[in-house]
Amino acid sequence: MTLLDIVLFLPLVAFIVILALPKTLSRTLALATSMGIFIVSLGLLAPFLGKPTSAVSFETNLIWIQSPAIRYHISLDGLGLWLLLLSTMLTPLCVLISWNYITDRVKEYYAFLLLLEFGVIGVFVSMDLFLFYVFWEVTLVPMYFLIGIWGHDRRIYATVKFFLYTMAGSVLMLAAILYLYSRAGTFDYPMILQLLSSGRLQLTAAEQLPLFLAFFIAFAIKVPLFPLHTWLPDAHVEAPTAGSVMLASVMLKMGTYGIVRFCLPMFGNAAHQCAPVIIALAIIGIIYGALVALVQPNMKKLVAYSSVSHLGFVVLGIFTFTQQGMDGAVYQMLNHGISTGALFMLVGFLYERNHSLEIKSYGGVANVAPVLSVIFMVTTLASIGLPVLNNFVGEFLVLQGAAIVSWKYAALAGLGVIFSACYMLWLYQRAFFGEAGEGVRHHITDINKRELLAIAPLVILMVWMGTGTSLFLKPITAVNAQILEQSKINVEYQVKAPPAPSAEPAPATTAAVVEVARAR
Amino acid sequence: MLVNFTPPSASEYIRVLPEILLTVGGTILMIAEGLAGERHRRGLAPMALAFLLLALGGAVVAGMDPGPAFNNMLTVDGYATFFRLLVLIVGILSVLISGSYLTRENADSADYYALILFSLCGQSILASANELIMVFIGLEISSIATYVLAGFLRNDKRNNEAAIKYFLLGSFATAFLLYGVGWIYGVTGTTNLQEIHRFLTSSESVYSPLLVSACAAMMFVGFAFKVSAAPFQGWAPDVYQGAPAPVSAFMTAAPKAAAFAVFLRVYSIAFSGLTERWQPILWVSAMATMVIGNFAALRQDNIKRMLAYSSVAHAGYVMVAVVAHSEAGVAAAMFYLASYAFMNLGAFAIVTHYVGKGERYVGIDDMAGYARQQPLIAALFTWFLLSLIGVPLTGGFFGKFYVFKSAIDSNLIWLTVLGLLNSAVAAYYYLRIIVVMYFHEPTNETGAAGPVPAGVRLALIGSAIGVFVLGVMPSAVLEFANRSAMLSR
Amino acid sequence: MLDTIFFYVFALLTIGGAIATITRRSAMHSALSLIVSLLGVAGLYLLQKAEFLFAVQIVLYIGGIMVLFLFVIMLVNLDQAAKERQFNRQWLLGLVASVLVGAQMVWMLNSAGVLSLPAAVPAPAATGPGNIEALADLLFREYLLPFEVASLLLLVAIVGSVMMAKKTS
Repeated sequence: MTLLDIVLFLPLVAFIVILALPKTLSRTLALATSMGIFIVSLGLLAPFLGKPTSAVSFETNLIWIQSPAIRYHISLDGLGLWLLLLSTMLTPLCVLISWNYITDRVKEYYAFLLLLEFGVIGVFVSMDLFLFYVFWEVTLVPMYFLIGIWGHDRRIYATVKFFLYTMAGSVLMLAAILYLYSRAGTFDYPMILQLLSSGRLQLTAAEQLPLFLAFFIAFAIKVPLFPLHTWLPDAHVEAPTAGSVMLASVMLKMGTYGIVRFCLPMFGNAAHQCAPVIIALAIIGIIYGALVALVQPNMKKLVAYSSVSHLGFVVLGIFTFTQQGMDGAVYQMLNHGISTGALFMLVGFLYERNHSLEIKSYGGVANVAPVLSVIFMVTTLASIGLPVLNNFVGEFLVLQGAAIVSWKYAALAGLGVIFSACYMLWLYQRAFFGEAGEGVRHHITDINKRELLAIAPLVILMVWMGTGTSLFLKPITAVNAQILEQSKINVEYQVKAPPAPSAEPAPATTAAVVEVARAR
Repeated sequence: MLVNFTPPSASEYIRVLPEILLTVGGTILMIAEGLAGERHRRGLAPMALAFLLLALGGAVVAGMDPGPAFNNMLTVDGYATFFRLLVLIVGILSVLISGSYLTRENADSADYYALILFSLCGQSILASANELIMVFIGLEISSIATYVLAGFLRNDKRNNEAAIKYFLLGSFATAFLLYGVGWIYGVTGTTNLQEIHRFLTSSESVYSPLLVSACAAMMFVGFAFKVSAAPFQGWAPDVYQGAPAPVSAFMTAAPKAAAFAVFLRVYSIAFSGLTERWQPILWVSAMATMVIGNFAALRQDNIKRMLAYSSVAHAGYVMVAVVAHSEAGVAAAMFYLASYAFMNLGAFAIVTHYVGKGERYVGIDDMAGYARQQPLIAALFTWFLLSLIGVPLTGGFFGKFYVFKSAIDSNLIWLTVLGLLNSAVAAYYYLRIIVVMYFHEPTNETGAAGPVPAGVRLALIGSAIGVFVLGVMPSAVLEFANRSAMLSR
Repeated sequence: MLDTIFFYVFALLTIGGAIATITRRSAMHSALSLIVSLLGVAGLYLLQKAEFLFAVQIVLYIGGIMVLFLFVIMLVNLDQAAKERQFNRQWLLGLVASVLVGAQMVWMLNSAGVLSLPAAVPAPAATGPGNIEALADLLFREYLLPFEVASLLLLVAIVGSVMMAKKTS
């Protein structure tokens, strides 16, 4: 049993404990356990700190079900590491921001929050396709209830839409996983990669494309990529603050993580083939999200649409197939998690005070709540990509990667950055400057200690990640390099393998091709 | 002539032990009621349970010494034992939820339990039948008992309608089955499954494949009716809605499982040589069953009717495994039926309790705010519904997983994709109940079911454990299914 | 030759009786038509040299069951039922469907070559043990279990009908 097993299962234990003990204890218990989990999870940093390694650590590989062989295979590498830490860090913060807000069915609320953490951690560490699918689906249930029970007025519509969209995508993925199993004879992901790279498992173009699409659509719904994004604003607006934070910061990343982790290494050809279309969709998403955010009268909806825009950057970065683009994309996943998480928290603070999400019911908040306003300003600046703050690094790398492929991509995506400055600063101006209205003066108080405690780690990270980039980026770079290599090996096949119509090419040739590819 | 007559051996009797125990139990129950009088009716359910447990033990004992019995009329193999145990467990759970229901409806009677026992006896015969004549008799015993059970509350119009509809259509379907059996006897000169297989695959036999296909088609009508597969699913919603709730619970699980058991056995033994002829038809049937079940369930407001359509949809998933026509498919169908039995009985157990006297609260909206009144029961209901949706870590998920995996292995890619998309559609109507229970507030109109009776509680715990075990540690059951799926031809 | 004539006579009786059974409005007429139909079947059994079945058919079905039927019809007031709306309004649809199915059957049997089979070989004259003995042999030896289990089937049917007939409380 490694530390990773402990980190994975602690939330489940906490979930059961919270359910078992009386509800007066739930809040404290949730805070204590989630803090504990975070502290324990920091121990996972040890093998990665400052080392540009693509090696996996904390591997556990046990048989879960005999036949068909489904393995409990988890491990951690630079890609999963930060996302995992982000999840474990955000959970106690979510408990903090829900502290007074949640008064109804308290026990269930915190239990679901920890169940969600369990599922999310599982997604980031699973190395068995089946296990991954299990965790992927498990995250759905607590989020469904978090939005459905503790959400706002149209919560039922939003949560059902959220569930069905994700479910529709993931059943396609299940079909693809089953098909892969019938071809590879295993669900074990490293094993499948090995089979692919050694040429013992060859997917024809006709197989790769549907498989890639099945995986990609499931992930793209979660991201969400442009035409599949419609569930997101609804879910975000209706969710309670902690739900929005977890959704934006962690659950959306499951989609982009899935693309990087699974789609590229396994289906490099198809990914390359589809890249122009996907890049186009990503850019449309960037600009569309920004433009829609610009005209939103509702703060939460504005932040939600900004997410569509920001995640467009992530997808764009991934599908440039350049080291810079990929690094930027993964870095941007973390950045978005932190800055958008913080934005949702801040909007939540305002909502708790004034019970309104409409921008027009604010104005002049800076006069009555200076500290809150400063923090909001820092977060806004981080979100629009000001240098020295975290988003700048990610966006810059993505744009650089896009420019390597085509300057047009970079130019169009750069437009998104400018728009984001517009809508965020405009929001800030409308909500925080000007004359404080009646409602604002009566209801808005400055940030309290508990809230400060919740948001401070995020603000610190915004600065830290904007300045101490190399610390965070090193493990990511190494893994990305490896993933790029894997997706390329695949491409070499397509070009060099003799056009054998049906019979499998002779192993000797295949091995030779791999050798050539490796040598480069 | 009597010289070479050898009476059946003791081990042959042991192989029909569950059937013997069930028959004796049912008879004793009816006599006991007469002897003890009306006032001792409370003891009937425990007595029936005792017999069922005995029969369960009998099935285990019978399963330890596998082999044919009574001139190969029955064959007790792992497959038979699996289904015997399954239907008996369903019987136990159904009896557990029936007690309080019957008391509430003032209809306590030994006949009810006796009929359940007899019906199970028929299903137990079906599970082990190796002969078309036994198939027919087993099917009739099981069906006639359920016809009567469906109309058990005779003062209830819906009950009567359910019973008469089920009876008329059911008899018609069985007639088709019998006609098919007759023809197959005409063609092959035997009703033994292995011998039919041998005849149909032997190069020496002369027969018209068209005629045999017609036999297979007619028997398909009979079986498809019993498992509620399209296009013979029309009766299912009306009957499951009209029948008393515990009877619906029983009917959607046990007779269906037994019918699938015999369906699979007949098609994978007797007609295995004609796969390419019946596979496309079953493909269409499986697809249509899933689509009809799921899309019709979307529009239901009555919880029993919704679960009825869901039962049709789930039959469609099992049909996918039948279409796969492989050992993996057989094992998947076995596993699926087991997990479906648990989750469906769990759901019906709650409905049985919730509907109240006279089944007043059958609307989905009547469950509004149930999570506030009974958090634990609502949580269990959610657990069963999630399993019916097929969310991982529930039995329903692994059931679907194995079914569709067997389909992929048999290269049925489109059926898999469409079936899985169907299961995403299904999520909507199951979620509706969760939405109502958790996200709506109770009103004056909604039912306010009291505390859950002990029997229902036991059944709920049993089903929940079943769903959990099949969802988290499915290995043992699956191993058993895999080992038993190899049906000797 | 004679056999063939008898066969057609009996077949006609069977089918004609069956049609009359379902088309007569009066329950009494239906029951009597059913007797005719069963009689035709009995004749067919005889043609197949199944004397025992023939006897059973006459004694049990016509003699026993049908007489009970007639009793019940006479005891229960069914005149009322005859006047009520009947549920067989879809007879046209039913006719079309059955003609279609019938045509399909004929086509199938024809293409399967069943209709052009050589004339049936007459059943071997009963030699050695009689028909009844052979039947008993089969029934109590090979088919012992189905025979016994069929009694359970009857028991279930009896319990069911008693329950259905019981006075409602």
